[in-house]
Amino acid sequence: MNWARISSTSFDVTIWLYLGAMVLSFAYLAARRDLLWVLARVVTIAGASANLVSIVARGMAADRVPWGNMFEYSTVLAFLVVVGTLVFVEGVARIKTLTGFSLMFSVLTLAVAAMFFPVEPSPLQPALNSYWIKIHVVAAITGSSLFAIGGIATILFLLKDRSERRALAVGRERTPAPIMGGAVEVDAPHDLLPDPEGAGGASAPKRGGVLPSAAALDRVAYRVIAFAFPIWTFAVIAGAIWAQEAWGRYWGWDPKETWSFVTWTIFAGYLHARSTAGWKGRRAAIIAVVGFISLLITYYVVNLWIVGLHSYKNG
Amino acid sequence: MTTSAAPTLRQSVALVWRTLRSMRTALILLLILAAAAVIGSLLPQIPNSPERVGQYLDDHEFWGTFFFRAGFFDVYGSWWFVLITALLFVSLTACLFPRTRAMIRAVRQRPIHARELDGFRHHAEVRVGTGPDEAAVTAARYLRRKRFRVSREGLGVAAEKGVLREIGSLLFHWAFFLLLLGVIVGKGTGFTGRAVVTEGETFVDALPNYAGQIRTGRYFSGGFTGIGFQLLDFEDRYRPNGQAIDFVSRVRFLDRDGRPTDTEEIRVNHPAEAGGLRFFQEGFGWSPVVEVSLQEQRLWSTPIEMARDDAPEGVPATAMPWRGAIKLTAPEPDVMITLELWPDFRAFANFQLTGEPTSMLGQFDPYIRYSVYAGEITDPALSTIDTTGLRRIGGSDLHAAGTSTFDIPGAGELRLSFSELRQYSVFLVSRDVGIPLVLAAAILVLVGLIPSLYVSRRKVWIRAEAAPGGSLVKIGGFALQKKDAFEEEFDRIVRGIGGREAVEAQPEERVGTS
Ligand code: HEM
Repeated sequence: MNWARISSTSFDVTIWLYLGAMVLSFAYLAARRDLLWVLARVVTIAGASANLVSIVARGMAADRVPWGNMFEYSTVLAFLVVVGTLVFVEGVARIKTLTGFSLMFSVLTLAVAAMFFPVEPSPLQPALNSYWIKIHVVAAITGSSLFAIGGIATILFLLKDRSERRALAVGRERTPAPIMGGAVEVDAPHDLLPDPEGAGGASAPKRGGVLPSAAALDRVAYRVIAFAFPIWTFAVIAGAIWAQEAWGRYWGWDPKETWSFVTWTIFAGYLHARSTAGWKGRRAAIIAVVGFISLLITYYVVNLWIVGLHSYKNG
Repeated sequence: MTTSAAPTLRQSVALVWRTLRSMRTALILLLILAAAAVIGSLLPQIPNSPERVGQYLDDHEFWGTFFFRAGFFDVYGSWWFVLITALLFVSLTACLFPRTRAMIRAVRQRPIHARELDGFRHHAEVRVGTGPDEAAVTAARYLRRKRFRVSREGLGVAAEKGVLREIGSLLFHWAFFLLLLGVIVGKGTGFTGRAVVTEGETFVDALPNYAGQIRTGRYFSGGFTGIGFQLLDFEDRYRPNGQAIDFVSRVRFLDRDGRPTDTEEIRVNHPAEAGGLRFFQEGFGWSPVVEVSLQEQRLWSTPIEMARDDAPEGVPATAMPWRGAIKLTAPEPDVMITLELWPDFRAFANFQLTGEPTSMLGQFDPYIRYSVYAGEITDPALSTIDTTGLRRIGGSDLHAAGTSTFDIPGAGELRLSFSELRQYSVFLVSRDVGIPLVLAAAILVLVGLIPSLYVSRRKVWIRAEAAPGGSLVKIGGFALQKKDAFEEEFDRIVRGIGGREAVEAQPEERVGTS
């Protein structure tokens, strides 16, 4: 058994484990049995371990850092999305119900990688053999994985927010207004909305559907995106430094550069919308979803369909 | 001009200014800029790929013309892209001046005192065994130790923390001006050119030597350095499977008087710097040295920098032959010789026998096929192989170190000798004095960004009152950001000021016990 074989075997194992963990996570969403949650986590961690083995073995097989082409970026991205969700969403924000969706994202990422850009481990081409690109790629994938988690949380927020509004509207029709007035102001910033599940998820007395409250999703989305933004900024800067070394110009509006700038600008817009323009809730969320789409374009469309200096999908 | 017009003008200026100052305008401009940049990535751009723009214009007559007029083929140089950027910077300026002034005032000012502490989002009361004066002093000292900015007036203390958020944010935003300055100065006064040099030959930084392959900035002074370099050798290395490992040019730099200064290697990702210019390894190719004489008279002896044919789909580029031309205007009529070079004869032979392309990764018995044309040469540039106005009068072939002769009717015997095959290297030469500014701006953007996102601003007020057995300390506070985290910090502050039992002495309890 050589390293390349270990890598590709554990790649397959990763897909199956993530798929199983995803099914278990959704089953937990539906049934809310703690046992299902525990099982889902065990399988998720097993999957992440297999993913890590696949990445490391790939590096050993190619005798270099294992992030030199689209296939490898995808493997690392899938890993970071799962680990990032476990650490930030389950760990820090204590939301248990998002992990199934992150696993779905990772399964899709790995499947697309296996279908559209499989490459055997091989050395880097000279243009990619620079330590700036190693730094640049690590930052870009880390930023991407966090933006992806933020994007997933934001999409769920939009879904949940709509159902909460509906429920609120129905509730208003049925019950007379409480003495203190409306008690809940629909247009109030989400921070001020009552949070039926708390930040903790399952411990809430009243269960409003399978997802955590819109406010909790909104909060975790913002935090993750605010964490990702400087990392992405750094990735763009490191990319520019590398472009200066490799091509003699730090910025040339090559499609990849353009799209990473667009993604950056949209998320800067999101942060502004949240912090100063007073666009809380849905409007800011839509900007974040547009940013997420832009990220996917930066990642897939530019590499596969738009030519540019960065088109090294074949390593 | 009437007197009533002046206020309206001022009013409208004020309105524009107010609009630009609003965060919402900045946000919308930012999103418009993103949308404009997208156009540039979807359509081919003149500075990057003029051929593809031409192709597009041929293929889509109506939309092509429309896009062309609208500047969509040069988005990043178009007037509207510049306008959006300019508006964004005006908006940024309009935002930054008041914010900076407010920030300086806030830093100078001592924290403002509050009278009613019960109204704050967080509040608590604790009993301590010391008198109110001492309690206030102790509390102020405690907060100072926790790195709050503290002001004490008698029994009241006001403290705040986290101005770094605003300082960082301002630094971040101001840094964009530095970035803009660096880009404008660097690109405006600099240039980018392409130098094509054969092994053994020398290149000097002077306008004609770039052979038209140069783009200068708007404020370029025209001053070339006159320094140069000699390409000692070029090396391309491959793995057995044909994948490139590295491309290395060894050059000896020469000062403006032609005296050697130092020898350096220029590789992909490893540019060299000399005389304020940077040299990047960009490409390479083959340069056969072919001597041509007509009737024993030497007409040509310089290396010819050949261009490789485009590979069809599925054929490796390295399998393609190279083409070049020799143009002789001395004889009557003019003579042009077109050359087709196969650096590896085996690949040529294999192609003839089997039709299979073979990669040529180095030279092996290099082989040239040539055709001779006579007539009138319209374009003396060697980079074009245009045979219009010329008549093919024959051709032949020759191997390296070989000689071939050919009779031109009416002109005499043409003699070609292929003495050796060298390589040429292509360098990007650029001058950009703005790079240090741009780099500094990028660092400041990042340095400012981090506190502007993660530091939270929080304020704490304290009032001590005399109470039986010591004093009662009221504590109030709130955070502008990260409210959850402040809850814990506030508890810690309460405990820090009141000691262990502090948390138990919540206001509710006091209501019950007093
Ligand atoms: C050039 C593009 C710009 C970018 C990339 C940018 C980015 C940012 C970022 C990342 C923040 C921090 C957000 C936060 O604290 O949560 C911020 C804050 C802010 N920006 Fe911008 N900005 C830009 C332009 C502008 C302009 C033109 C204005 C003025 C109209 C402006 C005004 C502000 C203000 C007032 C804040 C305060 C945020 C706070 O501390 O809560 N920005 N900006």
